[in-house]
Amino acid sequence: MADDQGERLALATTTAAAERGIGGRAGGRERGRGLALVAAVPAVLWMVAFFVVPLGVFAFYSLLTNAFYDVAFPLTTDAYVSAVTSPLNRTLAWNSASVGLTTGAITVAVGLPVAYWLRFVAGRSRVAVLFLITSSMFASYLVRIYAWRTILGSRGVVNSVLDRVGLIDEPLGFLLYSRFAVVLALVHIFLPYVVLVLYAAMAPLGRGLLEAGEDLGAGSSLLWRRVILPIMAAPAVSAFVFVFILSAADYVTPQFLGGRDGLTLGVQIQSNFITVGNWPLAAATSILMLLAFLLLFLLLNALLRFRRLHDLRIQT
Amino acid sequence: MRADGTRVRSPVTTTILVTSIVFLFAPLAVVVLFSFNDGGSVTLPFRGFTLGWYREILSSTEFRSAVTNSAIVATVVALATLVLGTLAAYGITRARSRLRPFVAVLLFLPLTLPGLFLGLSLLVVFSGTEISLSLTTVAVAHLVYVLPYYLLISVAALQRLDPALEEVGADLGGNAWLVFRRVTLPQIWPILLSAALLAFLLSFDEFIITFFVIGPQSTLPLFIFSSLRRTVDPSINAISSSLLFVTIVVFAVSFALTVRSARSGRISVEPDVVGVDA
Repeated sequence: MADDQGERLALATTTAAAERGIGGRAGGRERGRGLALVAAVPAVLWMVAFFVVPLGVFAFYSLLTNAFYDVAFPLTTDAYVSAVTSPLNRTLAWNSASVGLTTGAITVAVGLPVAYWLRFVAGRSRVAVLFLITSSMFASYLVRIYAWRTILGSRGVVNSVLDRVGLIDEPLGFLLYSRFAVVLALVHIFLPYVVLVLYAAMAPLGRGLLEAGEDLGAGSSLLWRRVILPIMAAPAVSAFVFVFILSAADYVTPQFLGGRDGLTLGVQIQSNFITVGNWPLAAATSILMLLAFLLLFLLLNALLRFRRLHDLRIQT
Repeated sequence: MRADGTRVRSPVTTTILVTSIVFLFAPLAVVVLFSFNDGGSVTLPFRGFTLGWYREILSSTEFRSAVTNSAIVATVVALATLVLGTLAAYGITRARSRLRPFVAVLLFLPLTLPGLFLGLSLLVVFSGTEISLSLTTVAVAHLVYVLPYYLLISVAALQRLDPALEEVGADLGGNAWLVFRRVTLPQIWPILLSAALLAFLLSFDEFIITFFVIGPQSTLPLFIFSSLRRTVDPSINAISSSLLFVTIVVFAVSFALTVRSARSGRISVEPDVVGVDA
């Protein structure tokens, strides 16, 4: 019975493609639509149980007393006080911010022209290049960190090549175990994400828009400034924030490539939790970091909105 | 191509593109090359070709059990994502409820939370409720991490479908499940399968969260992490290369599914062929 109905359905829908809009306003359909959200219930429950609640508990831990690999009452803001007043934390927060800022800025600056290439220049090679970029996105995170250690180390690829060519007598020590190495590896990790996000966002940028600009005599730098960048500002900002957050809170890359001046707050949070066993401090530092991320996000959004208002005022 | 058939030329962006591709692949190529290098240290020059490092890791029981564990977790996570994620994507795209935006935000939110915080939060809850850490807790955590990525792709695919087809199905008296199975699913199953394969990959390679929620067992990324902490043993190149190999094979299958379905006209081709919608 049900299958019979199914055959009829399949048959009808093939013809329906040609005759769009044939579907009337059936009451039954509307009712079905209202219930469709029920399908999302299992996923929602999962996210509440293993995302929302754990985060809430974690935030609550930041207000408890340290009990060495555990927490205890009474409620206190001690953890926040020590997180904020620690001079080490301030240095590490600065390191995190600078790593996030540089990584975000570089990935967006490189990602924009690459996305432009994919959208407008690529031609037949588009699918192949998309394959390369996306596959590199899934290349193992740890393997990439290891690869950069191999390349930048004192006996690594870069130093041995430079030595062989005779450009250096001693290995360049600053390559590895530095903020430079951390940023390089993080750019390597996040560039594919940024390219894909920006490429998808370039969809509404029609070729006609660019050609119209060219016909009016605009050079490529003027086109970038007046047509492409204004449209891409919002997606570029989201991509930047995404990369900033994920690279500023990374705790693995700095551990292996950072040395002393490349150490970040993420590493400190992890070691406070795992090695030191001060859970409230780790939680408080995490919450402060999340608040800082939120602030950055709101600030950049406000800036975008302001710019849009400003543009409108110029036009009128 | 332009309307008159000439290609847009842009030497500057072409140079940046080529440089980026080299930048993305050269480090990986170095690791793969060293995995075949006959010599006790990971330095230039190359000493000759060997498969010895691969033989060494294959005979290591630790390595084999790490690979097995990763495969088990990733398979479970991919299957669970396929079911939960498809249901959720359907709910998000087809519902008219006022709750819809809240549900969407909740399900996409984990994308923006660094793994460090998710890992710590889950560890706190697991240890507080005395749930012992194991591969199960790893799979539980991975599902939270992977689901939003799956939704990015599946929601985009469902949104691009012609709504008229489903409407006709409903008008002919099909219930929601029948319409989904006979009208919706035949159009998008390759995309869903492709996204589930990506879910497999994300889980297979996950380290940041896994580090906090894993018990006494090991997964492949954890195995790599501990060898990175020890001294430089060239077998790490063979381990890394094997992981890259698995990734590229699974990804190629996933990509082929997407491209095929784009070519067959089920899903629009441009420009989000990979399904990443900002």
